[in-house]
Amino acid sequence: MKKLLALALSLVLVVGLFGCGAKTETPAATTAAPAAETTAAAETEAPAASATGSVYYLNFKPEADAAWQELAKTYTEQTGVKVTVVTAASGTYDDTLTAELDKAAAPTMFQAGNQGAIDAYGEWCMDMRDTDVYKEMTTDDFNLKGEDGSVLAIGYCYESFGIIVNKALLEKAGHSLDEITNFESLKAVADDIHARASELGFDAFTSAGLDGSSSWRFSGHLLNMPLFYQFRDDGVTKQPATITNKYLDNFKAIWDLYTTDSATTGAALTTATGDQAEAEFGKGEAVFYQNGTWEYSNLTGTFGMNPDDLAMIPIYCGVEGEEKAGLCSGTENCWAVNKEAAPEDIQATLDFMKWVVTSEEGTTMLAAEFGPCPFKNAKTPENVFCADANKLVADGNYSVTWAFNWTPGVDDFRAAVVDALTQYVSGTGDWAAVESAIVDGWAAQYAKNVG
Amino acid sequence: MALFKKKNDGAALNSVLVRRPIQKCFPIFLLPTFIAFCIGFLYPFAKGLFLSFCNFKTTSKWTWAGLGNYVKAFADESFLHAFWYTAGFALVSLLIINILAFTVAYLLTKGIKGSNIFRTVFFMPNLIGGIVLGYIWSMIFDGILSRYNTSILLNSTYGFWGLIILMAWQQIGYMMIIYIAGLQAVPGDMLEAAKIDGASEWKTLWNIIIPNVMPSITICTFLTLTNSFKLYDQNLALTNGRPYNGAIHTTEMLALNIVNSNTLKTKGVGQAKAVMFFVLVAIIGILQMKSTHDKEVQQ
Amino acid sequence: MAKKPATIQGEKRVKTILTVVFAVVAVVYLLPIFLVLMNSFKANAYVNTETFAMPNEESFVGFDNYVKGMTFGNYPFAKSVGYSLFITIVSSALILVCTSMAAWYIARVGSTFSKIVYYLCVFSMVVPFQMVMFTLPKTADTLHLNTPWTIPIIYLGFGAGLAVFMFSGFVKSIPLSIEEAAAIDGCGPIKTFFNVVLPMMKPTMISVGVLEIMWVWNDYLLPYLVLDRKKYMTIPIHIQYLKGSYGSVDMGATMALILLSIAPVIVFYLTCQKYIIKGVAAGAVKG
Repeated sequence: MKKLLALALSLVLVVGLFGCGAKTETPAATTAAPAAETTAAAETEAPAASATGSVYYLNFKPEADAAWQELAKTYTEQTGVKVTVVTAASGTYDDTLTAELDKAAAPTMFQAGNQGAIDAYGEWCMDMRDTDVYKEMTTDDFNLKGEDGSVLAIGYCYESFGIIVNKALLEKAGHSLDEITNFESLKAVADDIHARASELGFDAFTSAGLDGSSSWRFSGHLLNMPLFYQFRDDGVTKQPATITNKYLDNFKAIWDLYTTDSATTGAALTTATGDQAEAEFGKGEAVFYQNGTWEYSNLTGTFGMNPDDLAMIPIYCGVEGEEKAGLCSGTENCWAVNKEAAPEDIQATLDFMKWVVTSEEGTTMLAAEFGPCPFKNAKTPENVFCADANKLVADGNYSVTWAFNWTPGVDDFRAAVVDALTQYVSGTGDWAAVESAIVDGWAAQYAKNVG
Repeated sequence: MALFKKKNDGAALNSVLVRRPIQKCFPIFLLPTFIAFCIGFLYPFAKGLFLSFCNFKTTSKWTWAGLGNYVKAFADESFLHAFWYTAGFALVSLLIINILAFTVAYLLTKGIKGSNIFRTVFFMPNLIGGIVLGYIWSMIFDGILSRYNTSILLNSTYGFWGLIILMAWQQIGYMMIIYIAGLQAVPGDMLEAAKIDGASEWKTLWNIIIPNVMPSITICTFLTLTNSFKLYDQNLALTNGRPYNGAIHTTEMLALNIVNSNTLKTKGVGQAKAVMFFVLVAIIGILQMKSTHDKEVQQ
Repeated sequence: MAKKPATIQGEKRVKTILTVVFAVVAVVYLLPIFLVLMNSFKANAYVNTETFAMPNEESFVGFDNYVKGMTFGNYPFAKSVGYSLFITIVSSALILVCTSMAAWYIARVGSTFSKIVYYLCVFSMVVPFQMVMFTLPKTADTLHLNTPWTIPIIYLGFGAGLAVFMFSGFVKSIPLSIEEAAAIDGCGPIKTFFNVVLPMMKPTMISVGVLEIMWVWNDYLLPYLVLDRKKYMTIPIHIQYLKGSYGSVDMGATMALILLSIAPVIVFYLTCQKYIIKGVAAGAVKG
C-alpha cells in the first residue's frame, strides 16, 4: 500500500515536472540538435497561434516601452495577431537578448543598433531586402549590412544631436545665431556671456555633468566629433581596431569651453546630473545645452519653452571647414528579424513591421516617440530640431554621422573615458590620461570584444 | 559543523530497524529533491563546466575551444585584480564583522535592559535584498559625498569602505544572533568557577568564553568569508566596479568580474572564470573549516 | 550572593550606560530605513541634493512617487507583488518539505547513493550562480519551468544544497532511540517522519525557512533570466526597471518601491521575530 502511494506521488511529481508533452525532450537532447530545436519547440509550444503566427519584440529603450505596449494592443485588436513587447531592463539588453534567443519562444524581432551588434547577432538576422517593410524605406543610410551586402537590420528612425540654443536669451545678451559659424565664433560668444553672467542672470553653457545620467552626452556624443573627423580622413568603412589622438585636441578645446563658460565648473561637475542640466536650460539659466532631438518634448512640454526660441546648431570644435558642418545624425534604433523563428511567426512579424511604418497609428507613434523616420509614409514630427537638421542638409552642409556606433565594448569604454574626464576636471588627473582612456581604451576593448 | 566532524558515521550506528523502511520509501523522501536538484543544479552545472571549454553565444551554439578560455582568463589582468581585491575585502570584512558582532553579542548577554529590542533592531537589515541595499546606501553615501563634490563612484577608497559599511550593516545582526546562542551555551559552572577563582573579566573572556564559542566562530567566519567571495548584488548596485582605470575596474569583485566578462565574444572566458571561481571558493571553505575546526578539537 | 554593594551599584551604572549607548546605536542603525521612507516622499531632484533633509513644501510630492512606481511601464506593480509572494511562499514551503524529507533519508540511510547526494549538496553550496547563469535558464525553458507556478522547482533544485546540509546536520544530532521506539510501535517511515521527526526539526525549519524566504523574495538575477519575460515580473525586477536607459534613475520612485518591497518583510519579521531569532540561533549551533 505504502509503496503504491509512494510510486503514485513521485509519478505525479515527475509528470508535473515535465508536463505538456515536453517529456520526450530530455535535457540531453538540447546539445544533440541545437539548430533544429528552436523552431520545433516553438511549433509545439503554440498550437493555437500557429495558424497565424505571433510577434515577440524585444525592445531596448525603457522610455519607449509604454508607447510600444499601446501600439501592440491596437494591432492585436485590429488583426487578432498576438504581439508581445518585452523591454529589457536598463543595461541588461545583451544579457537578456542572449538568454531569450536561447529559449524555445525566442524573440521574433529585436534591436541590433550598431556594427558590434551585427557582429554578435548577425547569424540570427534575416536579410531584409525582399521584405515589404524594406521597400517602404526612403534611404539605405541608416541600415546595417552584412559583408555580402545583405541588409541585416533596418534603421527605423534617426536622431540628431548638436548644441541646443535658447535664441531669446542669446538676443538678450546682444548676440545672434548668425554670428556663430565655427569654434572661434562660438567661443567668442560664450566667453562674452560667461563674463557677464552675473549681470545677465544666465550663463553660457549648462552644467556638463559627469554623473551617469549625463556623462553619455560627452563620452558618447561629444566624442563623436574627433572620431568622425578621423574616420573621414582615413576613409574608414568598418570598425577599426585602433584609433589615434589626431583630433583629440579639438575634443579638449570644446570640452574645456563647456566646463569653463558655465556656472558649474571643476569638481562640482563630477556629480552634476542630466536632470540638472536640463532644468538649467529649461528655466533659462543657460544659453547653450548639448543634447539631441529627443529633448524637444521635454523642453517644450515639461518646461513650457516656446518652440520659436529654440534652435539646434552643429557642434564646432575647431576642425578646418567645419563652417559647412551639419548636425550629428544617425541612429542606434535598428530592427532585426530573427530568421530562426517559425516561418509563420516571421511572416506575422514582417506584417506587423509594415503596419507600424504605414498605418495611421503606427506612424503617429513613431513620429511622436522617435522623431523623423526614413519611410515613405512617415509623418513629419513637430520638432524644430529635426527641421534644423533637415535644413542644414538641404543647404548643402555635410552630415556628421554617428561614428561612435563602431565603439567596441561601448559601456566599458565610455565608463573609463568618464572616469578620466572626471579626474581631469577635478584636477586630480591630466589630459594625457583622458587621451589614453580613449586611444588605449579603444584598442583594449577591441581586443577583448572583437579581436 | 557536522560535515567535518570526524565521522561518527551515524549510518553505521543506525539500526536496520529504522533504515530499511526508510530506504523503501526512496521515491517519496529523496526522489523529488533529487530530480529537482538534477534540473536546477547538476545538469546546468555540468553543461556550464562543458561550456567553459567552448566558445559560445547561446548555450546551444558552441564550438570546442579546449583550454583557450582558461588561458585567456589567466591573461586577463582585470580578473587578477578582482581576485586580490576580493581577497582583501574578504579579510577586512571578516575581521570587522566578526569583532563587532561578537562585541555586541557579548554586551547584550550581560543582561542589560532592552536587549531584546536591540537584538531585533540589529537583525533587521538582514531581510533586505542586495540590490535594494545597494540602492539605499548609494543614496546615503552620495548624499554625504556630493557635498564635497565627489561620489562613491569616483574614488576606489570610498567604494571599498562603502561596501564594507554596507556589508557590516547587513551582516552584523545575523552573526550576532549566532554568537549570542554560542555565549548562552557556555556552561554556567565554568563561569562560576572562574569567578570564585577571582579571574578578571578579560581572563574569563579569553580562557573560558572564547574557547567555548569556537563552534560559533567557525560558522560565522565561514559565512562571512563565503558571503564576501560570492558577493554580487551589493557590488553591482553600489559601485558596479567604478571607477575604471583602463581595463581594470577598481572596485570590481570576482562574481561581478565574471558577469562583466560575458560579452558575446567572451562568454566562454566568463564561464572558465566561473569554474575557477567556484574551485577557489570550495578550497577556501574547506581550508577554513579545517583550520578552525582543529582549534575547536584541541579545546 | 557575597557581592559587595559597591560592585553591584557599579555594575548597575555600567549597564545603564550600555543601555543608553545601545539605544543610540539602534537609532543610527535604523536610520537608513527611515531615510528611504523620507525620500520616498520627495521629488526626484531633491533625493540626490537634499538626502538628509525632511521633505519640505518645495520637495514634498505626496504619494506621487508611489503612483509613478506602481504604474510604471504598463505593468501593474500589484501583479509583481502577487507573483513575488506566490513564488516566495510556494518555493520556501516546497524546499522545507522536500529537503527535510531528503535530509532525513540521507542521514538515516547510509547508502553510497545517499552519501553521494549529500556531498553533491554540500558542493552545490559553494557554486556561485554565475556558473549556471546561461545553462539554467535554458534548462528551465526547455522543461517549461519558466512560470511562477513551476519556478519553485528550480528554486528547490538550486537551493537544495544549503537546506539539505542544515537539516541533515540536525538529524544526525537527534538520538536514534526515539525513531527506534516509533518503529517498534509499528509506525511506518512516513508516519514516523511527520509525527516524530518533523516536530523536533522545528527550530531548524525556521532557520532554513528564514534563509530561503529572504533569498527568494530578494532574488533578482535568477527570476530575471528564468521567468518568461513576456508575462511575469517580480518586485526586484520591477525596481530594476525604474532605471531608464542612459543611466537616469528616478530615485524618488525607486525609494517608494523599495519601501513597498521591504515593508512586508519587516512586518513579517516583527510579528514572528521571536521564532526567527530563536530559529537562526538554534539552526546555526546545531548545523
